[in-house]
Amino acid sequence: MLLARRNLFRDRTRFLLSVLGVAVSIGLILLLAGYRSGIYRQASAYLDHAQGSVLVAERGVRDFMGTSSVLPAGAEQAVRQAPGVARVIPVVSQFVIFEMHGRKDGFFLVGYDPAKGGGPWDLATGREPEADDEIVVDETAARQHGLAIGDQIRLLDRDATVVGLSGGTTFWAGSMAFARISTLQSLLRAPDLQSFLLVTPTGGTDAAAIANRLSIPGTEVLLKGDVIANDRKLMARVYDAPIGLMVAIAFVVGVLVVGLVIYTATIERRREYGALKAIGARNRILYRVVALQALIAAVAGSALGVGLAYGAGTGLMAWRPQFQVEIEPVAIAFVLAASLLMALFAALIPARAVARLEPAEVFRG
Amino acid sequence: MSAEGLLARRSLTRNRVRFAVSVGGVALALSLTLALDAIYAGVANQLTTYVDRAGADVWVAQAGVRNLHMVASWLPASVTERVRAVPGVAEATPILYSTDTISAGDERGVAYVIGLPADETMGGPWDVVQGSARVGRGEIIVDQGFARKAGVSIGDTVTVLGGQARIVGLSQGTASLVNSVAFVSFDDFQAVRGGAPVVSFVLVKVATTTSPEAVAAAIGGLVPDVTVQTGTDFSAQERRLVMDMSADVISIMNAVGFVVGLAVVALTVYVATLARRREYGVLKALGARNGLLYRVVLAQSFLSVAAGFLVGLAFTSLLAFVVPRVGLNLELSISAASLIKVGLFAAIIAGLASILPVRQVSSVDPAVVFRRGAAV
Repeated sequence: MLLARRNLFRDRTRFLLSVLGVAVSIGLILLLAGYRSGIYRQASAYLDHAQGSVLVAERGVRDFMGTSSVLPAGAEQAVRQAPGVARVIPVVSQFVIFEMHGRKDGFFLVGYDPAKGGGPWDLATGREPEADDEIVVDETAARQHGLAIGDQIRLLDRDATVVGLSGGTTFWAGSMAFARISTLQSLLRAPDLQSFLLVTPTGGTDAAAIANRLSIPGTEVLLKGDVIANDRKLMARVYDAPIGLMVAIAFVVGVLVVGLVIYTATIERRREYGALKAIGARNRILYRVVALQALIAAVAGSALGVGLAYGAGTGLMAWRPQFQVEIEPVAIAFVLAASLLMALFAALIPARAVARLEPAEVFRG
Repeated sequence: MSAEGLLARRSLTRNRVRFAVSVGGVALALSLTLALDAIYAGVANQLTTYVDRAGADVWVAQAGVRNLHMVASWLPASVTERVRAVPGVAEATPILYSTDTISAGDERGVAYVIGLPADETMGGPWDVVQGSARVGRGEIIVDQGFARKAGVSIGDTVTVLGGQARIVGLSQGTASLVNSVAFVSFDDFQAVRGGAPVVSFVLVKVATTTSPEAVAAAIGGLVPDVTVQTGTDFSAQERRLVMDMSADVISIMNAVGFVVGLAVVALTVYVATLARRREYGVLKALGARNGLLYRVVLAQSFLSVAAGFLVGLAFTSLLAFVVPRVGLNLELSISAASLIKVGLFAAIIAGLASILPVRQVSSVDPAVVFRRGAAV
């Protein structure tokens, strides 16, 4: 289809503009979709990295991030004594809002016992908290707030010294911070408070079997995978409505722009297609030329768009490291399919008009 | 209408499909920004409901606690008496507060659980539609929306704070996108916490002879290790929390909406200009200067953008009307500031979009008109 190609490349500005229009649209849709996937990935970072496959929480609590959980006294002891349990890590979690540089920010504060585990999995610099007035904060949050090891930060009604910076611990509503479990117990004025137990079964013991077997009054025994799923569901309810709406609007606009670009590109060549007919080309050939042109522009634009999305995503993550953009192959496939369909559709509408034209008409007016 | 405006309108509306797509594209792109602003403003409104309706002039919290949402505040119970002793304090009610999960059957909901003393005068439900407005031991008042979704009513039990409680009242206006508010007895709540003598907040009503600001300052001066705020300040802090935490998301979406809008308008105006080259040629041949032609192009993009802005506003208003009525606990609130911002966006988009076709217009050769079969 030499004809299609030659016709396309003759007017370079116009071709470039079509490709660029398609690329920007595709790039934006993918970027937004990737941003949304990234949020989900970040939400489960702690549980993804924490040891254990079973989680014990307050009765009725099914998620990790969303609510405060208070375990009944003696729960840890009871779980430890259960058969098939290799390791139990108690943690206390609490969301803390603080203000720095005139802007509010949130810590998802995890209290853990360094001897038992449950702390930061990627300590970039520094050490774990050894005293009750020590804290490990996220390195991205630290950079944003100009914090370094040795600095003091205000934690509700007391001061804490930053002793370590952890990596990979930002998420949609702030960042994670780690302190000793006793720090949180005193901060929350609850001396023996435990929020969750992370339970590792012994080798050969199935997590589901443990989850079924453990029955401690006032608690909920959950598979870690289910808790992660529940956290996502919770987030989907709270956060996905706005972001989902945005992705949907961007998708509609993006596909519309692709259609618009191809539609105008085709309509502007109507005269040339008419000429084709005049020299005896059949409608079948005409449609093929039109479709091929649309596809070339759409495919070139899409390829550029995917690159653009990756570029913009990388740029965004460098500029604001708390954002994670995860562009998923499924999203790419979906967006590409939708835009190619739209491109074909948009090209064939004006082509039909041309097909119905009498060849001689194109030379009139 | 001026000559430019008339020409621009004619040029735009002659190709209906293109005009519709252009306006629609701009509308959706601007809606992206408008709707997001409205959603977050709505969420901020919802999150401050409890603070606004609790009836307290002054809130006393653990030092460093300036918000309610998702946070914890724990004070020694003795703070209540110390607050009562401060001059200007008419009443002081301690409450316990935690963000917990309430479940009934398969339905689970995140809720602010408030522990209320038996003789409370503040902090309780403000609009009970059915049942009692007071909770005793083993009892709970839940949001009627939650009750409806869970299929429970007065007399049924729900799981809360790791135990069971019987519903004695249903309240309304106590649900947001994020959570609902539930009320239990102070003693039940305290027992769950191991009976430790603590309170979360002390709500204060001030005497009529003084002002909340003065009393807040007095409490701050006399009671150690607390953060004291007037109800108005507390509410403002909560609002700021939503805005600060969503600031980055909003700026990204603003950028996206801007780029998409710009792409759509630039493209349609450029294409419209290209398609009208002959007509511009005619104008030039008739003696029109480039300046006039530029103004026609500019008027075109302003017309598209203005129409897009109006359609976008209508679309967002429609969303704001429909969304709360389909059972989503989501409120959209379109603010004047957001309208001004988006309007400014639209104006910049229109201006930028008319830059691209400038070269096309200025390079039009008047003679093009007289050539037969010249490329359009």
